[in-house]
Amino acid sequence: MDSNKKYWKGLEELNKTPEFVEKNKHEFAEPIPIEEVLSGAGLSSKTPRRDFLKALGFGVGAVTLAACQKVPVHKSIPYLIKPEEVTPGVANYYSSTFEGSAILVKTREGRPIKVEGNPNDLLSKGGLSAHAQASVLDLYDGGRVKDPMLNGSDAGWAQVDTFVKNELAAIKGAGKGIRLISSTVHSPSTLAVIADFVAAYPTAKHINYDAVSYTGIIQANQNSFGKAVLPHYNFDKADVIVSFGADFLGTWISGEEFTRQYVQNRNNKSLESKKMSRHIQFETGMSLTGTNADVRIPVKPSEEGLALINLYNAISGTSLPGSKPLANATVDKAIMIAAKELQAAKGKALVVAGSNDVATQILVNAINSMLGSYGTTIDLDNPSHQYAGNDAELVEFINEAKRGEVGAVFFMDANPAYNFYANADLKEALKKVRLKVTFADHADETSELCNVLAPNHHYLESWGDDNAVEGYYTIMQPTINPVYNTRQAEQSLLLWSDSPVKDYYTYVRNNWDKNLLAKGGLAGQSGWETLLQNGFIKVADAAAGTYTFNQDLNAVAQTILNQSSKLAEGNKMELQIYQTVAMRDGKRANNPWLQELPDPVSKVTWDNFAAMAPADIKKLGYNQGDLVKVEANGYSINLPVLLQPGQAQGTVSVAVGYGRSKGGAVVEGGIGQNAFPFHSFRNGTFQTSSPATITALGDTYLLAQTQTHHSYEGRNVIREASFKEYVKNPSVNSGNEGEHKKYSLWDEYERPAYNWVMAIDLNACTGCGACVVACNAENNIPVVGKLEVSRRREMHWIRIDRYYSFNEEGKEITEEREIDKLENFDNVSVVHQPMLCQHCDHAPCETVCPVLATVHSAEGLNHMAYNRCIGTRYCANNCPFKVRRFNWFNYWNDSRFDNYLNNEHTQLVLNPDVTTRFRGVMEKCSMCIQRIQAGKLHAKMEKRPLKDGEVKVACQQTCSANAIIFGNVNDPESEVAKALKSERTYYVLEELNVQPGIGYQVKVRNTSSELQA
Amino acid sequence: MRNISLIFKQFSRSVLLVAGLGLYTLNANAQTDAAKGEAIFKAKCTACHKIDQRVIGPALGPQLTSETDDAYLTKWIQNNQALIAAKNPKALKIYNEYNQAGMTVFAELSDADVGNILTYIRGEWKTMQEAPKGGGGTSTAAPQETGPSNLVIWGLIGVIVIAFIVILVLNKVIATLERLLLRNKGLLVEEEETEATKEPVDKFATVKRLAKNKKLVFFIVLCGTIAMGSWSWTTIWNTNVHSGYQPVQPIKYSHELHAGAMKIDCQYCHSGAYKSKNASIPSLNVCMNCHKVVKTESPEIHKIYDALGYDPKTAKYDSTKAHPIQWVRIHNLPDFAYFNHSQHVKVAGLKCQQCHGPVQTMKEVYQYSPLTMKWCIQCHKRTEVNYKGSGYYDNMIEVHDRIKRGEKVTEAALGGIECGKCHY
Repeated sequence: MDSNKKYWKGLEELNKTPEFVEKNKHEFAEPIPIEEVLSGAGLSSKTPRRDFLKALGFGVGAVTLAACQKVPVHKSIPYLIKPEEVTPGVANYYSSTFEGSAILVKTREGRPIKVEGNPNDLLSKGGLSAHAQASVLDLYDGGRVKDPMLNGSDAGWAQVDTFVKNELAAIKGAGKGIRLISSTVHSPSTLAVIADFVAAYPTAKHINYDAVSYTGIIQANQNSFGKAVLPHYNFDKADVIVSFGADFLGTWISGEEFTRQYVQNRNNKSLESKKMSRHIQFETGMSLTGTNADVRIPVKPSEEGLALINLYNAISGTSLPGSKPLANATVDKAIMIAAKELQAAKGKALVVAGSNDVATQILVNAINSMLGSYGTTIDLDNPSHQYAGNDAELVEFINEAKRGEVGAVFFMDANPAYNFYANADLKEALKKVRLKVTFADHADETSELCNVLAPNHHYLESWGDDNAVEGYYTIMQPTINPVYNTRQAEQSLLLWSDSPVKDYYTYVRNNWDKNLLAKGGLAGQSGWETLLQNGFIKVADAAAGTYTFNQDLNAVAQTILNQSSKLAEGNKMELQIYQTVAMRDGKRANNPWLQELPDPVSKVTWDNFAAMAPADIKKLGYNQGDLVKVEANGYSINLPVLLQPGQAQGTVSVAVGYGRSKGGAVVEGGIGQNAFPFHSFRNGTFQTSSPATITALGDTYLLAQTQTHHSYEGRNVIREASFKEYVKNPSVNSGNEGEHKKYSLWDEYERPAYNWVMAIDLNACTGCGACVVACNAENNIPVVGKLEVSRRREMHWIRIDRYYSFNEEGKEITEEREIDKLENFDNVSVVHQPMLCQHCDHAPCETVCPVLATVHSAEGLNHMAYNRCIGTRYCANNCPFKVRRFNWFNYWNDSRFDNYLNNEHTQLVLNPDVTTRFRGVMEKCSMCIQRIQAGKLHAKMEKRPLKDGEVKVACQQTCSANAIIFGNVNDPESEVAKALKSERTYYVLEELNVQPGIGYQVKVRNTSSELQA
Repeated sequence: MRNISLIFKQFSRSVLLVAGLGLYTLNANAQTDAAKGEAIFKAKCTACHKIDQRVIGPALGPQLTSETDDAYLTKWIQNNQALIAAKNPKALKIYNEYNQAGMTVFAELSDADVGNILTYIRGEWKTMQEAPKGGGGTSTAAPQETGPSNLVIWGLIGVIVIAFIVILVLNKVIATLERLLLRNKGLLVEEEETEATKEPVDKFATVKRLAKNKKLVFFIVLCGTIAMGSWSWTTIWNTNVHSGYQPVQPIKYSHELHAGAMKIDCQYCHSGAYKSKNASIPSLNVCMNCHKVVKTESPEIHKIYDALGYDPKTAKYDSTKAHPIQWVRIHNLPDFAYFNHSQHVKVAGLKCQQCHGPVQTMKEVYQYSPLTMKWCIQCHKRTEVNYKGSGYYDNMIEVHDRIKRGEKVTEAALGGIECGKCHY
């Protein structure tokens, strides 16, 4: 039985606004103006026959002339001397590392074309984030700095070296300070290089500075347990997770790793053993993690601290001085229930907070200590090295520089001119610094203020290593010769510090030989080669010790209360600064794949915005897309308003990572506004919330939001159950209860060898969007830009539909009662559904194609022959799932798309095994048929059967949550066949009997009846 | 031009003959020793040495002309290691010059044998040195033998056209003059004019008469339509079909010689055919496996050396001079069709010739098959799957059932003619 629960993608759909209804009536939002042509000067004019003949004559003539063109001569240029390991046409894979995760880099004919997870990676076991997937495109970014620059003009490396060394000698002589500012360095070899540099210049100091900082947690641990570390969290060991604004599935510390851990207690396997964790999220703006929570309670930033104090009180049974019950009754009630559940799950509970405030984090430590989390869900003895930034040190540097004590500053993977909150201070300070060097790969905001730009290699061109988590060492090896005249930052530092080793490769090698190889039980040349092959070594974990918090909390509570009252002061709106999953801190803002990836929550592309609660918007009389001025901490930006269900009332959320003024052609087109200056420096750390004022500007702004593109006309495609119901009856709400006879108009297809199908677990999918970018990279999917997205013409083969629904425990909604509910958008729950071509056995698209361009295969796939397609678009009209995409342009030969495909650099990232599609042609997910064919061929060459799991489609491969399983259902032992046998399996729109090849598994939510008020 | 080169050739031959005769008379005595020397040289030395050229070891002609100390040479040839060990300065110099790659020790050669070799090499070198003087004519004339340039052809055509026009004009002039002459005579003019006016009338009459014959007109129109129709049918079907396409390649490489006469396996050069989608054109290091020593004097082989920046005299590569060879692609499959060589060569076990034709007889390769989709499909419909001995088909129960039923399991039966097999 389907529930009557109503799902909606956006408020316009829920309210059925006239605009939405009009746009949704047609498959293609902007119809071709045929009627205008016909009713205008076309047929009714006086000489249609003559015009027709003229057009015909010209057409025939033009076609004839075009056909007379000689066939172009193709040149075929082999290698002069072919490297032994390269076979043209066969991909080579090299192990490397991306931000501490072991990866595999796929190269063809010497150029990297795709990044894939290393299945043995400790952190995410082969899963990769959207960022990692997109990083390969940065390599071919034509906007990268091509030569070193000295005082704004191109210079040779020799010139730069002499200049820097002379300056450094002079500064050393004058005894002035040298500062090396980097985002957190967790590479052992880089740290060694920096240590050598500091040894050569004793006045030098290394400062870790992260744009989005975790100093609060590190200092809180120093304060509570004497260990200034970022702990390693184990979400897989937690039965009850309570998060206060920590987006741990998305942007918080190690999203992919936490996703993998988190899903282990919620996926099919866990459900079948009748086990599911409970996740309660208290947060301001809707985050990716919030959308996945079992219970999500919107809280204002000012309430967050109070809520934590109350949670502490409830668990400890004491009362911290100054604590008071929360004004918000829902939150207050939720806290009490959360406390009860946490206590019940002692030793298997985890509380995390996203705040960068030391006091808040100390309080969190105290709570976790009471819950016995240390040694189980939190590991302080094998800490994470992913972030080690120290906010106060950077602020101190600015003061030193202003006082003229700093002679030289080096920026390594750091762009404070963009992401430091006190921008003007930095500029002023840098004026007093004699030598300013940046290793940026783009001419970015900071490089404008520097006299030397010594461009760094892209990581795919570099040697290196990483140590993201204690005991886990990964190696980075180059996969291509440097594309431009760049040099690795470490090498520059080695040269400038007159190191005896002039070459960074040798340096890394020596460092591993001396210090690291032995840790992994390896040695010598063969050990080094093993390392390059495996990609990492793992030292056995130290035993995770238990830690008890026994500090006085009175002062801490007082600080938190003071801050809360300051935030709530003057009854202003409360501003929260956050990171989006797609853009993070804006380092990769110049990457068009990431810009076009719809934000998992808001589904907005190419922009940031001011997210506000629908109730507030109604109260203030705004509409979606109205430009408002957001003002806080003496800084203001103009942003469009976005209606965000689930946003805490009285708050506004703005994402950082946008509004880059320099750093490549994509961002210089002007994308969003910079929200970093909204940060403030309080109590020794950067803080993300502050009171703000919002004023309407009376203007509107176009947001390219994909949420209501490709709608189902209200048909119910989501099936959901609560964990309680599931335990009673595993097939609840899946529609699998009771047999019914199936009738079919069409003959069944024979599938003698394979039947490729897919199973998608809605309970595992977090909606992060990594699959979308992986698919872009694998299948040469064009980026269309903001304007085209707003015309509903995005080309992504896989999209993630995000559905909101009201929480109605045990109650069924009727149309009338929904209207009453429109007031309260605070309590909504979210389901993410990846939607791609369903490869239906009775595909509606196949029957309407007049030229048989889309046909069924003997392997259960729905083929699409681009060269046969004539672009009638009937198939897209007839597709109930709306997964077909039409090529409106020649994206690779049209000056409107210079930023991506129409660019000789970026074209190098194309997968040579997949055709680039021409204008006027329909396309859609092919289930990575190139991978299926390659896998089969590989097995045939080895004369053995194709093994299950040997062929992995791109979206499946990158999914840290393992939400997508692909395989041959003809083989009853295959993983996919087993997954589809689950009672939870249902098929989207199965009532149409199109017999989709993709089975979805019912979303199960571990809701609490007490919390659903 | 050709005549000049022919004269040169003949001249050089006669010079060679004279020189040879001269040598013969001079060295009649040494001839027997030289013959013995030649036999030993060919048996023992040619693996590493040539007389006029550096191969692995030095070019022996110039080397033995400058080095006249036969006693030293004998010691060197019989046991060069001993000389090097004894730190003989001459021996050390050449040892170091050739990257300390020691020469094979020939202790079995007697002093007389060595003497014979030396005599042979010195004699041969002398002959060679005299020969090229005459041969110079051929080498300078060689490039001109490649055929007349385009300019010459167009010039000739131009001249012919002009000549034709001149002839036409002159004919006209002659005719007018004749008519004038006749008019002056005043006799034949009228007769001619009447004849001239009568004849065209008759001609038109026949045409008109034929045009009135409706059957004939219908027949002609029908023939015309059929001819035009079939012509356009074949033209359209053969648009972009390039069977027989035989472009001129930058190096005159003969498959007839390599694959035909020499019987070199296709995969020796096109090694990708077994493991990749591309059969791949060999990189030049594959050519150099043989051509470091074989046919080193050929101008075509020198194109390889130039492309590699290789100097045959010093046997050194200069990568700064290297530049790729731009072959002209013969088999152009469109981008939207995926073709994999290994699938056909390794898995299906097809012979290269099945698609590429009798390559072993082609001096210059041309496109043998039409490479149309129809051609692909026909083969996939006919060819049975090569399942024998392959474990790949083990789990495909339905396929086994079909085989048991005696059905033919062709490529097509397993989906080999579906769009997605080649188009994605």
